[in-house]
Amino acid sequence: MICEKTKLALQSLFPEPKPEPVNIVEGASEVSEKKGKAPAPPRQDGLLERDYAIHGYHLDAQVSPDQLLKAVSILDAAQFFIESITGVDWINDNQLEVVYDFSRYDFDVCRVVIRTRIDRSNPVVPTITNIYDGANWHERETHDFFGIKFDGHPHLIPLLLPEDADFHPLLKDFKA
Amino acid sequence: MGTQNIPSSVVQFALADKLINIGRANSFWPLTFGIACCAIEMMATGCARFDMSRFGAEVFRPSARQSDVLIVAGTITKKMMPGIKTLYDQMPEPKWVIALGNCAISGGPFAFDGQYSIVLGAHEFLPVDVYIPGCPPRPEALLQGIIELEHLVSDWKRWKNPEAA
Amino acid sequence: MNSPIVLQPDETFILNVGPQHPATHGVLRVKMEMSGEYIVNAETVIGYIHRMHEKMGEVKTYPQFLMNLSRMDYLGALGYSHCHVLVVEKASGIEVPERAEYIRAITVELNRIASHLFWFGAFVMDLGGFSPLMYALQDREHILDMLEGVTGSRLTYCYYRFGGLYNDIDDDFISAARRFIPRMRKSLVKYRKLVTGNVIFRKRLEGIAPITSEMCRKYGATGAVARGSGINFDVRKNEPYSVYPEFDFDIPVYHECDSLARYMVRMDEIEQSLRIVEQGLDKLPGGPIMPDKKPKMIKPPVGDFYQAVETARGSFGVRLVSDGSKNPYRLKLRSPTYSNMHLFDEACRGMMIMDALAFMGSLDLVIPEIDR
Repeated sequence: MICEKTKLALQSLFPEPKPEPVNIVEGASEVSEKKGKAPAPPRQDGLLERDYAIHGYHLDAQVSPDQLLKAVSILDAAQFFIESITGVDWINDNQLEVVYDFSRYDFDVCRVVIRTRIDRSNPVVPTITNIYDGANWHERETHDFFGIKFDGHPHLIPLLLPEDADFHPLLKDFKA
Repeated sequence: MGTQNIPSSVVQFALADKLINIGRANSFWPLTFGIACCAIEMMATGCARFDMSRFGAEVFRPSARQSDVLIVAGTITKKMMPGIKTLYDQMPEPKWVIALGNCAISGGPFAFDGQYSIVLGAHEFLPVDVYIPGCPPRPEALLQGIIELEHLVSDWKRWKNPEAA
Repeated sequence: MNSPIVLQPDETFILNVGPQHPATHGVLRVKMEMSGEYIVNAETVIGYIHRMHEKMGEVKTYPQFLMNLSRMDYLGALGYSHCHVLVVEKASGIEVPERAEYIRAITVELNRIASHLFWFGAFVMDLGGFSPLMYALQDREHILDMLEGVTGSRLTYCYYRFGGLYNDIDDDFISAARRFIPRMRKSLVKYRKLVTGNVIFRKRLEGIAPITSEMCRKYGATGAVARGSGINFDVRKNEPYSVYPEFDFDIPVYHECDSLARYMVRMDEIEQSLRIVEQGLDKLPGGPIMPDKKPKMIKPPVGDFYQAVETARGSFGVRLVSDGSKNPYRLKLRSPTYSNMHLFDEACRGMMIMDALAFMGSLDLVIPEIDR
């Protein structure tokens, strides 16, 4: 089963076996703040298995930006195709998250999500265009919307916004 | 046609002008310029069921130099606006503009607080003659718009006004 | 096959296949560096119809966003709405009655046939044949009549709601659909004789623009582009959703990788969609079309969810990041044409420009879906 093999391969990126985190709720910082409780800390690096019937994907790995290329190479070697790359603005944690979706063409279904979190003030992530050519446009679009710089990208100019645009509309503190 | 810059001839031939206007009204040549969803309804109007060619307007010209109606069909973004203005400037006179669909009239469903990318209507930079509302407007609405433009261009009407009859 | 003549660098010129072009199916701009008739380099410029769907996803509530999905890809609009309602239902745990799912599947397949017919007419028009457009759009009008009777719109439907549909189908729809199926099958025979067997058509497409399956994988191409390159991938079979496991249909896969293979995939898909509509009408159960228990305000739990469906253009996905409130925190729309179009820059190097435009037509592009 490709899912098991990929899980083992990705697990090797996180050397210390962490115990199953007790109160990991991703993004709960928003809701908890509204209810007046102390905000939950942002999610730590690690690999989680998800219920496909509810979440729609099987494996969820959060890596640090320097492990990103290794993780993506593992998936490339296992014949995954790149589905999409996008960003999420966690303004309350002062972080930006880049989310990579991968899937497979054959009937051995396994959807993998790779995430990485970076500081909002200096968002730089290495590019994966050398591994997957299709990441070129996805990364340009993420740069357009969030201002994340992809280190090593061959042509990081606006894709969807006008060529001279200098604003990043999907940031939570964007004012038109 | 108040915005047109047509030089008035020294000797006025009223009957010839009238005939020429009727000729213009019955043979609009639109520019093939579909931007978004409304373009599909424009193509459907040109096809067999709704048949714009009954009114002389089925000859879509790809080149702006050969067309006289610019049907703005779809949302105008700030990135696209200079292109549309260039196309309009390239069309020889007399020329008219039809704003097809809510987006071309006022930004349509994409005008919300905090929008950063669209122009709120074709009238912001073009002199629009006919507005056709709808999202998208039915092909019959586009035909009605073309007939309205015919009335604007010439005095000749296809059928009597029901109230006046 | 094409073998480009290599000229000196200063003997190339830039040709702008601009946003206004009869063959670009919308506002797409390709800056082509040409040496004579051959393309040395191409750079696609998009964004001329960027309508901020993802921003609206954060500003609007879940029910308010339902109308946006139809404007994304207006030719196959129901498939896109289907994905959005499925992901929110999956996240919130809303049960959908079986009759509603069957009606959704039937209407999505009819919409897929309408989208393929429009693509077929426009594609052959690009190659220079103007007549099939008339025939194809006439057949499409029959589907639009059926769907208009049930949903109220011809093109940009807003038919599905969270939990089901807002309007049930009536006997007029069922009898019109049953009459349509044999009529469409006769039309397919007509198209095969008129177009597919035409020697000029075949010469324009056979062997043109090969896309290897490795290239598809690197770019994430799905839909008919992948199936024309030998990849047997269709979300309806690989990751079944809704009531598709109940239907018996095939996935056409061609291994020639050229434009003709992509064309044949879509023509065969029309036949398969007719089979699904037939089976759907036979198996249609009675019952309600909305669930009894539905939350008053749609607020999915905290977390992120993904759903993929097979639309006329490929695998469309919605990634929903929810923070428990009535607006999504982030709504990402993964558009199939975006990944399919991306291959164009690399694949059209060394081609003649007329072959490149035929290739663009065979990719089945809808530009507002790329720009969202």
